[in-house]
Amino acid sequence: MTMVPQSGSAVSRGGGGSTGSLYDVLELILDRGLVIDIFVRVSLVGIEILKIDARIVVASVDTYLRFAEACNRLDLEAGRKAPAQLPEVVGGMMEGGARGKSKGALTGAVEAVTDSLTGKSNRDDEEPDEEEAEEEPVPRRRRPAARRPARREKE
Amino acid sequence: MALYVYAITAEDHPLDLDEQSGVGSEPAPVRVVASGPLCAVVSDISEKIRAKRRDLLIHQEVQERLMRGGPVLPLQFGYTAADEPTIEKVLLKGADGYLANLERLGGCAEYHVRASQDEEELLRQILSETPEARELNERIRAGDPDPQLPLTLGQLVAAQVQERQEALASGLVEALVPFAREHTVRQASGADFLNFSLLVPDDRREEFRAAESSLAGQIGDGIEIRLSGPLPPYSFVE
Repeated sequence: MTMVPQSGSAVSRGGGGSTGSLYDVLELILDRGLVIDIFVRVSLVGIEILKIDARIVVASVDTYLRFAEACNRLDLEAGRKAPAQLPEVVGGMMEGGARGKSKGALTGAVEAVTDSLTGKSNRDDEEPDEEEAEEEPVPRRRRPAARRPARREKE
Repeated sequence: MALYVYAITAEDHPLDLDEQSGVGSEPAPVRVVASGPLCAVVSDISEKIRAKRRDLLIHQEVQERLMRGGPVLPLQFGYTAADEPTIEKVLLKGADGYLANLERLGGCAEYHVRASQDEEELLRQILSETPEARELNERIRAGDPDPQLPLTLGQLVAAQVQERQEALASGLVEALVPFAREHTVRQASGADFLNFSLLVPDDRREEFRAAESSLAGQIGDGIEIRLSGPLPPYSFVE
């Protein structure tokens, strides 16, 4: 079992946080909070990508086929017999590998959003100004893999 | 000059905002517009602001500084007023409601809980506990070309995923709600199966955290619970 407790908000503490929480809190900031009708909202053009709403279990043929394929791909024997620590250690050392491994039918959407949040999407090419503006004031706040802190606990 | 508005507080809030700079490409200092029993926390912005991710972080930083000093009503990100008189009018007109809200939220903070489950782990569980799914999976892997098989398998698995995650989600909610004065459950997105906010009184914070961490310890393999907070009460302002 893994958990990622946040003491204070991940947003302002940066270093100790996981991106899971950064992303989680951003959704609150963008979508909740007091709204005052006669005020005018600024353009959210650069950041509207945050608003995804892909529920994982959608009753559709696509979903069924994705789940079936994911089941077919599972190596049931290997899953049962492999020493439990090995994949974790490899995952912890090789960030890219760990992220690739977690990209399944359920996690694809979140990966896409995390990438866009952390500036890994090709939107960067269109918005170099945004990246520049961010580099210096918030050097440690944009960290990708939501699962990394959990993996570290296990090492 | 337009004003970006961060939050509303009572006039007796200490408003410790020294050297806090605001949103925008040329950030101005964060300051206060007072009217009657209320204050709005604002900063000047040029008319044509376009929100950046950095601005979201500043917005949150201001809320966090404010919540250390007392109750705060955080605005949703991105709202601006044309000028100070507009803000004064809003504070005056809505005073009763804002004061009641500040009273209601005093001594509390929001905690936000999300949970997700590792897909492989979940599918493994489903296959090992559902003979019918396991058999379908094996037929497909053995090369049975019947195009109906993947659909049947997928449908079965999808239903199991939903059922298991709903049960997990409601179990987590039930276990934590007793520590909250109010709570709200929203539609989860992405890989999450739970999106849950609680308004927890400060004097129950430790109990709540202990309960959350013991839940996290008991819950099954491959499930990750993410707790954020204390946060300003974004989900409970209205």
